[in-house]
Amino acid sequence: MKKKYGLLLAMIVALFMLVVPMSTQHAQAATDDSLEKIQKKGVLVMGTSPDYPPYEFQATVNGKSTVVGMDVKIGKKVAKDLGVKLKIKSMSFDSLLVALQTGKVDMIISGMNPTPARRKNVDFTHTYYQGGYDIVINKTDTAKYKNKDSFSGGTLGAQTGTTQYNAAKKQTKNTSVKGMTSQSDLILALQSHKLDGVAMEKPSAEAYVSNNKQLAMIPSDFNMSSSATSSAIAFRKGSTSLVNKVNVTVDQIKKDKLVKKDYLPAAGKYLKTNTVNTSMGHYWKAFLTGIEYTLIITVCSVFFGFIIGIILALARMAKGGVLKTALRWLATAYVEFIRGTPMMVQVMFVYFGLGLFVNLPALTSGIIAISLNSGAYVAEYIRGGINSVDDGQTEAARSLGMSNGKTMRYVVLPQALKNIWPSLGNEFITLIKDSSIVSIIGVTELIYQSNIVRSDTYRGVAPIVVIMVLYFILTFTASRILNYFERKMQHD
Amino acid sequence: MTKPVIEVEALAKSFGDNEVLKDITEKVEPGQVIVVIGPSGGGKSTFLRCLNLLETPTSGKVAFEGQDLTTLDTKSVNSLREKMGMVFQGFNLFPNMTVLENIKLAPMKVKGTDDAAATKRAHELLQRVGLDDHADAFPTSLSGGQAQRVAIARALAMDPKVMLFDEPTSALDPEMVGEVLNVMQELAKEGMTMVVVTHEMGFAKSVGDRIWFMADGYIQENNTPENFFAHPETERAKDFLSKILM
Repeated sequence: MKKKYGLLLAMIVALFMLVVPMSTQHAQAATDDSLEKIQKKGVLVMGTSPDYPPYEFQATVNGKSTVVGMDVKIGKKVAKDLGVKLKIKSMSFDSLLVALQTGKVDMIISGMNPTPARRKNVDFTHTYYQGGYDIVINKTDTAKYKNKDSFSGGTLGAQTGTTQYNAAKKQTKNTSVKGMTSQSDLILALQSHKLDGVAMEKPSAEAYVSNNKQLAMIPSDFNMSSSATSSAIAFRKGSTSLVNKVNVTVDQIKKDKLVKKDYLPAAGKYLKTNTVNTSMGHYWKAFLTGIEYTLIITVCSVFFGFIIGIILALARMAKGGVLKTALRWLATAYVEFIRGTPMMVQVMFVYFGLGLFVNLPALTSGIIAISLNSGAYVAEYIRGGINSVDDGQTEAARSLGMSNGKTMRYVVLPQALKNIWPSLGNEFITLIKDSSIVSIIGVTELIYQSNIVRSDTYRGVAPIVVIMVLYFILTFTASRILNYFERKMQHD
Repeated sequence: MTKPVIEVEALAKSFGDNEVLKDITEKVEPGQVIVVIGPSGGGKSTFLRCLNLLETPTSGKVAFEGQDLTTLDTKSVNSLREKMGMVFQGFNLFPNMTVLENIKLAPMKVKGTDDAAATKRAHELLQRVGLDDHADAFPTSLSGGQAQRVAIARALAMDPKVMLFDEPTSALDPEMVGEVLNVMQELAKEGMTMVVVTHEMGFAKSVGDRIWFMADGYIQENNTPENFFAHPETERAKDFLSKILM
């Protein structure tokens, strides 16, 4: 019976979590003060996925890793014409639409095609660039492949969430289509022959081929409407006044042919300087930042996770009146729910979902999500630890006049902690590794940094090796430190 | 007339359907040493643990210095418990603390005694139980007899008005029983009020002021040691005494 109630409670909590964000979303769309709001705020936040040269990509400018590309140029022009400052937020392409809808960004410029499906959820400006699709292949295969129809029996790759991905799925026969989140991963997969070809937009394909002698490109011959091959700027649904204003800028860009004349050549320049020094040592600063953030996230999450864990464990062990029983069920439901859902979903939920109520930066969201997650696991360890302490200890402490709280704090918890130290250590080490999940919301920890280095250098394996070693150094050092404290706690 | 230290009235305790204590009414006067004896499973330990509310009585009254514990809130019960020291069969020393820390913990955390005063007092108590040279040892390095003497010192550190002993020598090797009983005898001589659950008939005879013979959830007989061992009044007591080696 108890178990059933716990499950019910978990379901109610889940339902609540789903319903609340939806209702506020509708409310947001109702009024159109979009233009005023931006101008009042003075900042226009542009969301982009910087792994799509020459549209947008990371380059080292004056020693700092910066997002550059033709879309950035367009973003700057839009902001300038609105009389506001431009702020760029990077995240994976899949996350962009959610980020726009939840107010994390004000607009998306990321080589996004204004497809009818997307139009249902966001408002697009006029298109600022008309592109097309090519397929990048290994140069050695040039004789084998002509266009999209040549890949029968083979594998085509494309960036997930993009138009070319859908086209590759729908318009090929007997071809398996593999989606990956980053363009540089796709190129790497192509070069290691996991893929036979990668469908991507013309300018991107040109950039890759001109930078890598082992690659070649062929026309895709996808059957596309012009909306599917063009790029436009996306705004939140119902931002008509803002869109109209930006359309003036877009029309001007098109009339003056700014993209071809100015923006693409400028982006190309970064692409060239970008490939001069691709040694991993050259990027030590990027990796250092990664380590810094990985450690910040881990240490904060361990600290808060531990506190949450203690509270949850005590709540789960509460016995007595209605209030305490409710508390116990609530804590149990929480633990079950957290353990039963992927951490990645939790991270996205905190960042995008809670973001509707409070504007949390990505790093804070990441720490909150991982602490909440870790707390659920730590709670179970602590509960086990408390149960492992002999009842006689509690009785002795209580007989000396110590209150329940003091007994817990001075007698039971120290002993429980000692018993569960190895498990807690494991959790800490797992967290160092699991913190990598927050890369999906754009926190510059190790994985994210390595992705930047990869798209920056067009080298696929070396950055992976570097972070593998770095992760190992981190976890190994951590486990040595934990062992030291474990030995210190051994009296018997 | 002095007020009784402990007064028990119509005390009953059940665990589920199992009635362990049925109807107990007794008094402990200041300075008395009460020795509770009887067959195993007769409810002796449960009775003792009801006296400081480690077990909550199902019904009845347990009063300490005239205050009914069963009607008090948790906080008041906590503060009355410190006046009732308890010594357990399994010692229950805190294994993660040294002997000294074991003794100092409650005075410092409950009474707010400062470290220096608590340390001084702890050393005095350790001298009294003959273990001051073990102050910095951890409990696991002590023998059973030593551990139990530390446990007594720990209970005494709260300056209790009464000491409850729950089979303090049952878990000890025979050669260590003496050292613990000696400490208890000293305590009794100094006038400490004590309730002792034990199987040590020698101790009961020589140190006890009253014998409470307990069986089947009742105190069957309340007698002086001399009378109880020589001329037990109840059949249940006679039967019990005939079965143990004297």
